[in-house]
Amino acid sequence: MQFSLTVNGESLEIEAAPDDDLASVLRREGYTGVKCGCDGGVCGASKVLIEGSAEMACGKAVREADGATIRTIEGFGSQDDLHPIQQAFVDHFAVQCGFCIPGMIVQTKELLEETPNPTEGEVREAIDDNLCRCTGYQKPVEAILDAAERVHGDGAVATDGGAPSESTAHEATDRPGETRDT
Amino acid sequence: MTTEDDPKPDGGTASHTEQDVAALEDHPLEWDEPENNNLAPDERASVSRPAEKDDDPKLVTGQAKYTADYETQFPGLAYAAVVRSEIPHGYVTDVDTSAAEEMDGVRTVLTPWSEETPDAKYTSAGQSYPEPSPWDMNVLNEHVRYVGDPIAAVAADDAETARAAAERIAVEYEEDEYVLDPEDAYSEDAPQLFGDDEVENEIVGHDYSRNRMSQIEGEIGDVDETVDRDDVHVHESEWETIRQSHAQIETHTTLAYTDEDDRHVLVTSTQVPNHTRRQLAHLFDIPIRDIRVSKPRVGGGFGGKQAMVVEPIPLALSLATDRPVIYEATREEEFSAMRSRHPMKVRARTAVTDDGSIEALDLYALSNTGAYGSHGMTVAGNVGSKPMPLYSKVPNARFKADIVHTNTPQTGAMRGYGAPQGTLALEGHLDEVARDLDIDPIEFRQNHYMEVGDLDEIAGMMGGEGAERRIRSCGLDECIERGKEAIGWDDLEQPDEAQLHRGIGMALSAQGTGVAGDELGAAQLMMNEDGSFHLHVGGVDIGTGADTAFIQIAAEVLGCPETDIVIKSSDTDVTPFDYGAYASSTTYISGMAVKKAAEDAKERILYWGSKLIEEPESNLETGNGKVYSEETDASVDLEEIGYEAAYGHDEREHILGKGTHCTEESPPPFAAQFADVTVDEETGEFEVNKLVVAVDCGVAINPGMAEGQVEGANHMSYEMAVCEGITFDDDGRSAVTSFDEYDWPTASETPPIESILVETHEPTGPFGAKSVAEVPTNTVPPALSNAVREAVGVRITDMPITPEKIRAALEDDE
Repeated sequence: MQFSLTVNGESLEIEAAPDDDLASVLRREGYTGVKCGCDGGVCGASKVLIEGSAEMACGKAVREADGATIRTIEGFGSQDDLHPIQQAFVDHFAVQCGFCIPGMIVQTKELLEETPNPTEGEVREAIDDNLCRCTGYQKPVEAILDAAERVHGDGAVATDGGAPSESTAHEATDRPGETRDT
Repeated sequence: MTTEDDPKPDGGTASHTEQDVAALEDHPLEWDEPENNNLAPDERASVSRPAEKDDDPKLVTGQAKYTADYETQFPGLAYAAVVRSEIPHGYVTDVDTSAAEEMDGVRTVLTPWSEETPDAKYTSAGQSYPEPSPWDMNVLNEHVRYVGDPIAAVAADDAETARAAAERIAVEYEEDEYVLDPEDAYSEDAPQLFGDDEVENEIVGHDYSRNRMSQIEGEIGDVDETVDRDDVHVHESEWETIRQSHAQIETHTTLAYTDEDDRHVLVTSTQVPNHTRRQLAHLFDIPIRDIRVSKPRVGGGFGGKQAMVVEPIPLALSLATDRPVIYEATREEEFSAMRSRHPMKVRARTAVTDDGSIEALDLYALSNTGAYGSHGMTVAGNVGSKPMPLYSKVPNARFKADIVHTNTPQTGAMRGYGAPQGTLALEGHLDEVARDLDIDPIEFRQNHYMEVGDLDEIAGMMGGEGAERRIRSCGLDECIERGKEAIGWDDLEQPDEAQLHRGIGMALSAQGTGVAGDELGAAQLMMNEDGSFHLHVGGVDIGTGADTAFIQIAAEVLGCPETDIVIKSSDTDVTPFDYGAYASSTTYISGMAVKKAAEDAKERILYWGSKLIEEPESNLETGNGKVYSEETDASVDLEEIGYEAAYGHDEREHILGKGTHCTEESPPPFAAQFADVTVDEETGEFEVNKLVVAVDCGVAINPGMAEGQVEGANHMSYEMAVCEGITFDDDGRSAVTSFDEYDWPTASETPPIESILVETHEPTGPFGAKSVAEVPTNTVPPALSNAVREAVGVRITDMPITPEKIRAALEDDE
């Protein structure tokens, strides 16, 4: 069957079986930043923003996402120009093997949209289904609290990712120089 | 091949001999350390600075490639699925593959009897050769020994078809009696898992008639004589640990293919590329040179990938179908058929005088190695040889272990490697003894623990060359002092509610750094004409940041920016030999190889610098991307040296450096753990308010990364204290098939963890470094047990610590 998705600003017509899970479909399309760490819907590594809401792509059939606007980790910053959330994770040594990190960054994005200045408890609750085996959560929590400062606090980091590439264009609102990511 | 006459250094059975005593003299306190190894903090340009992780920009943008991400690069890729035993013990009498083979998209089905299925015995343990583990496994099994043992494998055009085909394969069994409990398995009338001709490379102390794969023992002094003395009290307690899952988020994944040069390539998520290559060569009877094992980014290992767990299956399927094949283990398979920490019962016994002098220490472990013996003997050895040396001043010490098979999944290496089990028993036991003697538990430990200059004989009592050691760095005192301050040891406030009681428990730990006398790391450095470098290292970054540490070490020697070094690690076709990422050896062993390679290259850089500056090499140093004269301040950029060396008129040279490192040393890092807990004496409910762990890892090559290692290890240790781990139903079936059922502490269920790095200088390590990643895995179970004891007076000895157990113990007390 044919499905329409808007992924990181790019319109895609995708051939897939209706029961195919969205994570596998996105991975086949080259969005391999969407990770699969469990047998579906538990570990959080496959989180993407669907209409702005962080969801596990592996727990969702592609037909349920037909027509949706999706943002994957590839739609955040580029390696040369990281999104403030990404930069906070780097600066706090919150990244070890990195397998769970794209999902955690996606979840952080949703958290900071809804709760600009979260408490530590709110941060921990927010990433409760983003399982990480490497860090003990201490540094990710510190990174997310700092990311809140960077995104919303005084003297926030202005950058929000580099220029959109051909395959992974950013959402219009996130283009550098237009609006700051808040 | 390992035999009874040839025990391996990391777990053998030799008792203490005159020869060993003589060997101690080979461990002088003075260490001939190169001048450049002991830099003052302000002299370090790259080392001990929190450098950004080299692969972080790729990791946080989702651009980093793990094994499964190579999928899209292989048109015609086939997908593997495995048929696993439904019974805990028996024989496969028939495998009907016809329904599966008729399915569209199925390329092949392999059974134990297929021509392409290797039939050699092997061990999955990723250890040095000859492996100190029995060769007791087959790739596909006719004799199955646990629910989950692989029987058949399918390759199909897509993953769904492969899984559906696997479900259509009908297996008939002749069922056998089975045994799940290690004590039952060790009894003489228990069902026997291995017949006489089913094991090669048998390990010392084996007795398969009692399901024992190994028995080991070591002693210094005379424990039996000491416990019989009139002037000592004998204390004894028994402790039990869980079957912990590695639970690395990336499951075991391997992609196998044969390339255009007829080379068999495995892109695989492994900690041990070189061991895997050797083991595959053995299994498939292919020359080592024709196998290439390449490690991309690895999504965590923790010991679970210090084993060749899945690689033979995609390779066999690839050879059978003549196409690339990928095998990604499911999460259910991770819990039911991959590896786990050995569950153990450990008995601790001490003989102590009235004034608190420990005269003898005695540990006995019964280890459940599951259906197969990989890492069985060596992990059990470390139950004694890692924690006990902490008290190296105790004159009489003994450790003994029985390692037995049960019809449960295979155990294996896991972060801590036996030390967590031994540390629980030792540190919980000593805490209770101190209470009994009414001696402050910290002071009691301090009276016996090791310090700089000590000749540690306990580490050597299990035998093996080089296992005895001289302690040349030890920050235990500072670990305790700073830990006490951070946890608030001296000003603990009790809650207002009368039924709530707060207490702090503490525990110490020591580990090793590499396997003494049984390690090898190598590295190679190539200079480009623009003054940049390619660093090729066999050491394996499994997510710890090892690549970054290697770059920092090389940059420190070369005096160049870290960004001028491009690293390639762990591809057996390209990078030098390395034993792999295990035994806390990576920074210490592979890092020292990197340092030597950089120094080797630096010699040639100074030679060319001397030509260009026209001053003797002895005047020259590297720094800030230049070679400069310490006398005249004249300097030349590394770039100019690169071009001159490559394109010079009268002489040319590709500047290359090589380094190989092996050592008899294995210096212990140390940790002091503190746990602050509030317990409800009515319900047994408890809350861990905070964990503090202070670690002496020598010089931290990258403090930010080192803290991350400490906190992650401490979280894993906390899980050992409060999580049920993998349990089984009465039929031997894993009760845990998903993360939801593996009830580990999530972010909101994890207490704050404060890590403290205590800097010492280990002269045998690169720039003073020793290991960091294992020692904080050992300490939360005893510290939390001790904290609960402090808070409400009851002692929990079998993990996990639960409100139900606390409540029951409180009721017993009444």
